[in-house]
Amino acid sequence: MVTADPNSGVTSPSAPPGNGLLVVFAAMTPEQLEGAFANLTASFPHEELIIASPDAILDAFATDAHPLFRIVPAPASHSAWNITAADFVSAYQLADKHKARAVLMLGPECGSLDSSSLRKLSDAVLGSADSIDLAVPCYELSPHAGLVNSAILYPLTRALFASSVRFPLAVDLGLSLRMAKRMADAALHFTAINQGETPLWPVNEATIAGFAIDQFNVGPSVQSAGPDLNTIFPLVIGPLFADINAKATFWQRFRPLPPVHNAVPMPLALIPDSATDIAPMLSAFRLAYTNLHEIWSLVLPPNSLLSLKRLTITDTPAFRISDSLWARIVYDFLLAYRLRTINRGHLLGALIPLYLAWVASHLNITASGSDSEEHIEAVAAAFETEKTYMVSRWRWPDRFNP
Amino acid sequence: MQNVLAMMLQLVSNQTPRPISTSDPSIWHHIADALQQSLDRVLLLLVAILPGILAFSAALAVFTLIGMALSALLRRGLTVAKFDEHIAHGRGNVDWAPSTSPTALIARVSFWGCVLLGLIIGVSAFDASYATAAMLPNSLLPYLTHVVGAAILLIAGTLIARFLARSVLIGAVNEQLQYARFLSLGIKWLVLVLTAAMVLEHLQIGGNIVGLAFGILFGGIVLTLALAVGLGSRDLVSRSLESHVEHPSTTPPTASPDDSIRHF
Repeated sequence: MVTADPNSGVTSPSAPPGNGLLVVFAAMTPEQLEGAFANLTASFPHEELIIASPDAILDAFATDAHPLFRIVPAPASHSAWNITAADFVSAYQLADKHKARAVLMLGPECGSLDSSSLRKLSDAVLGSADSIDLAVPCYELSPHAGLVNSAILYPLTRALFASSVRFPLAVDLGLSLRMAKRMADAALHFTAINQGETPLWPVNEATIAGFAIDQFNVGPSVQSAGPDLNTIFPLVIGPLFADINAKATFWQRFRPLPPVHNAVPMPLALIPDSATDIAPMLSAFRLAYTNLHEIWSLVLPPNSLLSLKRLTITDTPAFRISDSLWARIVYDFLLAYRLRTINRGHLLGALIPLYLAWVASHLNITASGSDSEEHIEAVAAAFETEKTYMVSRWRWPDRFNP
Repeated sequence: MQNVLAMMLQLVSNQTPRPISTSDPSIWHHIADALQQSLDRVLLLLVAILPGILAFSAALAVFTLIGMALSALLRRGLTVAKFDEHIAHGRGNVDWAPSTSPTALIARVSFWGCVLLGLIIGVSAFDASYATAAMLPNSLLPYLTHVVGAAILLIAGTLIARFLARSVLIGAVNEQLQYARFLSLGIKWLVLVLTAAMVLEHLQIGGNIVGLAFGILFGGIVLTLALAVGLGSRDLVSRSLESHVEHPSTTPPTASPDDSIRHF
């Protein structure tokens, strides 16, 4: 609904239709698009919505299925597995253009979420009085899924930014208009230097801005086969380390975990389909210990190296990486990333075998009967405990090297 | 004829050498003269190039001192002006590492800039002094530039070799290749051999022999690597081929053990 301003001659959008929610779809396959649209229709049966999608097919598709939905074109997303800087910029531009009050960004698998989940996310950011600026989903995943999130993203975000958001890199998000603007402002730095595909960290941004964050249980999420670990790992961990590096003045102060607005029960870990063979991961770790020891010794202190050496001779069933050791390893790599001890690409590549060792240890723990979520919470708690170690090494990298 | 013979005999009897005696003062006199002349020549040469060396050293020392002073001044001034914070604010509150802060970088660049300037001026002064003296071989100074170029080549080659070796090592380990270290070493030595050949070529040492030796060595390394990889993975290739022949694309490929894992 665009009307012409008679005074200026410049077209300006009229009041937003319906509740003022802009829904931004990621690039999807036709099947995913159908599922997403069905979920959206079930969640907002009688409301007018503006839907921005890079897929032109949606226009004809939606007109027949739901006449109250207005489809607007959106730039094609740079990535299917996360929300990039360019996506945030285009989402805010669309929201500003259509005078939206809030933005709901949906990933390719949003069709598999609970039908009420989209409503929860949008209601949170559309609320007028006690509104939330960032609504994040909490997925129910198998213990074998989202392992990078469980091993690094969640514990680091929780320990450094005092946020209990379980999935900091969720692909489905609800954003208030000011949060969308904040993200677009942060993203402009990357798009200006032609790095629009860089993933951003909305939880970190919202925490620094003092915006209200809440997470909502959205049920199980279908996990499609992800990209290759060796390719994607540096693309996720590198920007996270860079973001933490950029926000060091914030997280070096102690901050307790804030109380959550809407307490979410811990998602029940789904039972894995079958036991996973961890032998290939352990052999990768042992091979790496033999070959990458020289590189690891540039990054890790002798204590950690000694612990890793012991782990290489541990039997497969008894293989466990202690939570504190894992926390220190991640912190040491984060510090080396900051100090550029070695080339950053090499550094992140050298972290992959250690991550695989953690995965093997985690799977061993869950296979022995322990709850997966309990272990992940213990890991996050270890990251919080070891934060003092991190801050000491960050401030005095040469003087404090145990 | 008899007269001729008589004359020859007389000459021989006249030219019979006297026995050489070390106590003869004229020998020592000649040796001393020769040594004196050599020493004079060395001293003259030293005197000729000494001003150049002094000028080079003085220029280098003075500009190094200027660089240190300028660096300290810049460091202090930029710290007082909170330069890092201004830059960080413009780039989204970046927390700089102590060694990579803009202030440290500017101070370091100014110091090394001054040192480089001192080097250039010193070499110019040395060159001027040398040209006037004109006692050194004409090819020495141009050869020095070749040496500098060769040193730069050597440093760059070593750095590139180390970078590529690490890249290959990490990539191969993450692909779980058992011969990762061997592959990495192979790459490293290939680049180092290439660098060495380039350095020798630049120094004009060895002529065609270097090129020939490099070709043989390089070819040898490549052949060794090819044989090692080929022989090492022979079983793997034959198994793969056999499985394709026995089950021609009817059976799906066996799932890897960690197919049930989703890292993201």
